[in-house]
Parts: sequence; structure tokens; C-alpha cells
Amino acid sequence: MRRLSHILSSLVAIAGFSVISLMTVGAARAQDATPTTVPQMWDAWCSRCHGKDGKGKVDQPTITVEPMDFTDCRITTPEGDSDWEAVIAKGGPAVGLSSQMPAFGDFVSPQQVTEFVAFIKKFCGETGWPSGNLNLPRPMFAEKAFPENELILVPMVSHKKDEPVGVSFAAVYERRIGRRGQIEMVLPMESASTSGVRSSGVGDFEVGVKYALNPGASNHLFSAGFDVHTPTGDEDKGLGEGQWVFEPYLASATVIGSQSYLQTQLKLEFPKDNSWADRVAVYNIYFGRDVRLLPSTFTYGVELNGENDEVALTPQIRKGLSKTGALAGAFGVRLPLNHRSEQGVTWVGYLLWEYLEPVRSRR
Amino acid sequence: MGGISAVGVPRAGAVASIAAIAAVLVGAGQPRALSLVPTGAGFAPAGGTIVGVATTKEVTRPAIRATIDPAVCGSSVPDESVLIAGGGQLANVVVSVPGVKASQPADVSFANEKCRFVPRVGLMRPGGAVKMMSKDATLHTMHAAATDGRAFFNVSIPVQNVTLSRPVDKTGLVTLSCSTHTWMRGFVQVTEELSALSGADGRYRLEGVPAGKYQLRVWHETLKTAAPVTVVVKDGETVTVDLTLVK
Repeated sequence: MRRLSHILSSLVAIAGFSVISLMTVGAARAQDATPTTVPQMWDAWCSRCHGKDGKGKVDQPTITVEPMDFTDCRITTPEGDSDWEAVIAKGGPAVGLSSQMPAFGDFVSPQQVTEFVAFIKKFCGETGWPSGNLNLPRPMFAEKAFPENELILVPMVSHKKDEPVGVSFAAVYERRIGRRGQIEMVLPMESASTSGVRSSGVGDFEVGVKYALNPGASNHLFSAGFDVHTPTGDEDKGLGEGQWVFEPYLASATVIGSQSYLQTQLKLEFPKDNSWADRVAVYNIYFGRDVRLLPSTFTYGVELNGENDEVALTPQIRKGLSKTGALAGAFGVRLPLNHRSEQGVTWVGYLLWEYLEPVRSRR
Repeated sequence: MGGISAVGVPRAGAVASIAAIAAVLVGAGQPRALSLVPTGAGFAPAGGTIVGVATTKEVTRPAIRATIDPAVCGSSVPDESVLIAGGGQLANVVVSVPGVKASQPADVSFANEKCRFVPRVGLMRPGGAVKMMSKDATLHTMHAAATDGRAFFNVSIPVQNVTLSRPVDKTGLVTLSCSTHTWMRGFVQVTEELSALSGADGRYRLEGVPAGKYQLRVWHETLKTAAPVTVVVKDGETVTVDLTLVK
């Protein structure tokens, strides 16, 4: 009986070994034909739709949506790596792109996904484009360092002690110029009350330029900018400054870990008709964190806002309103930490549209 | 490879034949069938059985020219949109009993084989999973979309003999396609209803149908019955409902 048991055990072991051997051989054969490096995978898999050169054109297209041209740096550079990684691992719908882009996450390791992103971004053969990893969620007051193509609507309601409520609604237009530049225009509509009479109308129209100083950086981006307030508002009605104001500034963006950000802005305001002593120093320091690494994520943030010796704190929350991230909304409240009666409390928000990005998810 | 449901043999004296409907089919390839038979609580242990054969007078469609991967796909692939046997028996017909729920969730499995989905049509219940693998040494994807075009998923399957799984939790017809081989089509009926799929011989079988009068729901990807199909089921009896499908 014992011998029989031994024989059976041996047979089971032999059978098991045979099965394992066959499985191993099978796997090895499968692997022989399976690309193992990212360039090999690109040639064998991705190039069927994206083309070997990444331009998105092939002789025999098998999908109805034409893939992006990865050699176009305007497409390849503005978004962060996490968006690209989501598309490769989870497919296009993860960020609102076409479902004809399949998910590869079952066959590509996270490390290879990262390598894929670097591989794809190299199709943009130009230097001088700021990294999309430093294209961070817009703070409420601090100027972004990253140049953008955005249209932003900014409602603001201010309460000051013993004063009527002030209301403004600004439309902001931002447009990238070249690889590193941006122009900006701001048209504010305001409603203010002076001497018991409420007036509404156009405030001070503002134009500005911004330029990324170190576009090759991966963790810190610095930009310099210059805004000009024009006296288009009626100062007597409380709708503007009544004079030209020149505002040079520096802005920075820093990534902390993978989901947290620090953004800062230091700005000086020089009213044309005032003395040098009347200049205003403005600083905004924002810290924020994404809940998830997707364009539609919530981002929680807090901003320290200073204007000369007045200091305020602005907790805020931002949410991508579309899967593509082309629409976003934010809300916050600026709370004075000192000079409370002069600063008052300001409720502020924004609705943002990245107008070169698709708003609706593609099928 | 006859289907699980294609085994019904009417019991003598318990068969109440019903006039079936006219239909015609076309097709080729190896058909198979699946059935969803209620086994859970809440179903009468008795009930009746509906069996039948789906047929058509349609003819097999011409093969499709394969425009890519000839080493794997060949120069052409059969058009299995109408899959018929020699006597006009039609495979891949889904017959459902409205109002009668099937029991526990059921998965469905597909293979990408010679640049076709095998099987072409499957049945599953919401909450189950679509399982997929490839036998082909080329890049396939499985793109599953609802009838409104909304995608459930699109998964690449570039490596052979690896099984993937994706859940589907909504009822309805799911269309399967491949992003790299445009002719590939498959279908999944995701339903809670008691349903059966006709096999290569056109046969289907629905067991455990509570007694009552029903208008069967008959689905085929390109064909349909000419008129509604009504059946009266009695406990312990088997009723035959042959189906004829037309364009």
C-alpha cells in the first residue's frame, strides 16, 4: 500500500512537472513573439494606429478617430504625465478621449507606462516647451507660471464692515504665444456703491504678458510677467483706479510628490500718478493637492494672500467639470488675518474653459 | 459542438406544438449555444419547458476580405452574421421569456481566433463579466459598446492565451468590435430574463418556465421573426416553438 502510494506520488509529480514544463514552453513561445521593450511595443502595437513616426497617420486606418499628431509639441507638451499614463493604462475614456484607444494596463507594467510617456513625448523634437507636469491647477489669486490657452470667468463678492457689498465679474482671456509666452486680457464688470449711490459698469481693463524662464525644468517653473491696468473704469463711481497701474511679477510652480503643488507669485504695483512710496507689494502663496490623478479630480488648496501689511487666507476647492479637464470650476473665500475691517471678506470663484481642448468626451 | 440548450427531446404526450413563425438565415462556421436556466430560489421547481429550432431561408454571406495581418487572419474570413447549417438551421438566435428572471450572475467568454470572435454571440447576466483571450499572434482589442455607442470598455489583447475579465452591470445588447481588425463583430445579450441561445443545429431550450402565456423575445443580429411569437406554458409540459427568421 505504501509502495502504491509512493508510485502514485511519483506519477503525480511527473505529471505536474510535465504540465509545468509544457506551460513554461508555451509561455516562452508566446514571449518569443511578444515585444518586451517600449520601442518594440510601439512598433508592434501602437504604430498600427499612431504610425511609427507618431503622426497618427497610417496607410490602412482601422479606427474612425484620427489619433493626435505626437510630433506637434502643442499637443504633446501641455498635459501632465499622469494624464498620458491614464490613457495608456486605462484607455482613452479615462480622460475623456475616444474609446477607440484601448487600455494596455493588463499587459504593460506601471514602469513601462512611465517609459511609454517619455517615449511618446520625444516625438516632439523641440526644446523650450514647459513641461505639462508643471501645468498646475489654477489658484484663486496667484498667477500660474505655466502659459495657458484659457477663458476664465471670475465672479467676486466683497463684504467690508459698514460698507455696501461690492460685486465684480471679470472675463479673462489667455493665449499662448510660441513655446513659452502668453498674453492675457481682463475685462471686469463691477458694481460698487459710493456715497450711498450704487453704480455698475466696466472696471479697469487689463492686459498682460507672461514668459516662462526655465522651460526645461522638471520640478520648478519660473515665469516673469507684466500687467498693465488701464483707467477705463470710472473712479468717481468706485469702478476703477482712475489711473494706469503697472504690475511686474514673478510666478513659480513646484510639484511636491505626485499630487501636491506649491505656486507662488510676487508682484509689485506701480500706480502711474502716485509716488514711488505708494507702490504696493503683493504676494500669493498657494498650496494644493489633487485627490486623484485625473483631470476631473477635486483639488483642495489654501492660499496666503498678502498686500503690503495686509494678510489674508483663501481656502478653496477646485473640480474638473469634464473628463477631459477642459472645463473646471473653483470656489473659495478670502478671509482677512489682520486689518479685518479694511480687507473684509471676499467670496470668489471661477469657471475655466481650456478652449483648445475638447469639452465633451469622445466616443 | 452542439449547444447546451440544443438537447431538448420532447416527451411523448407532453408536447404541445405551437405554430412557429417564418424565418430565414445565412451563415457558416462552428455554432454553439448557451442557456440560462433558473436554479435559484423564487422559481417554481415545476414549470414547463420551451424547445424549438430556429431556421431561415437566407443564405450564407460571402467571405470578408481580410485587409490586415494575412499571416494570422488569412486572406479572408467567413462572414458569420448569418450562421446556418445545411438545413437552414440558424445559430446565434437569442430567445428570451419576458418577465421570467434567470438566477445567479453568469459570465461569458470570448476568444479572438483567426481574427474572429469565438463565439460570435454570448449571453450573460448583469453583474457578470466578459472574459476574453486571444489565440492569435497579433494585436487584438475587445471594444464593448452599448447600442447608443457608449463604451463599456476597450481592452487591448496583444499577448496570446492570457484571459482578461471586465464586468458589465447593465442590461441590453453589447456590441463587440476590434480596433485593429474592422470586420470583427460579436454580441453579448446582457439580460436578467430567462434566455437561451440557438446552437449550430438551430436548437434552443428554455427550462423552468413558470406556467403562463408569454410572447417570446427573439433576437438575431440581422434577422427577425415575421410576427410576434406567443406560447402557452403548462407545468410539467414541454412546448415546441420553432422559429423562422427573415430579413
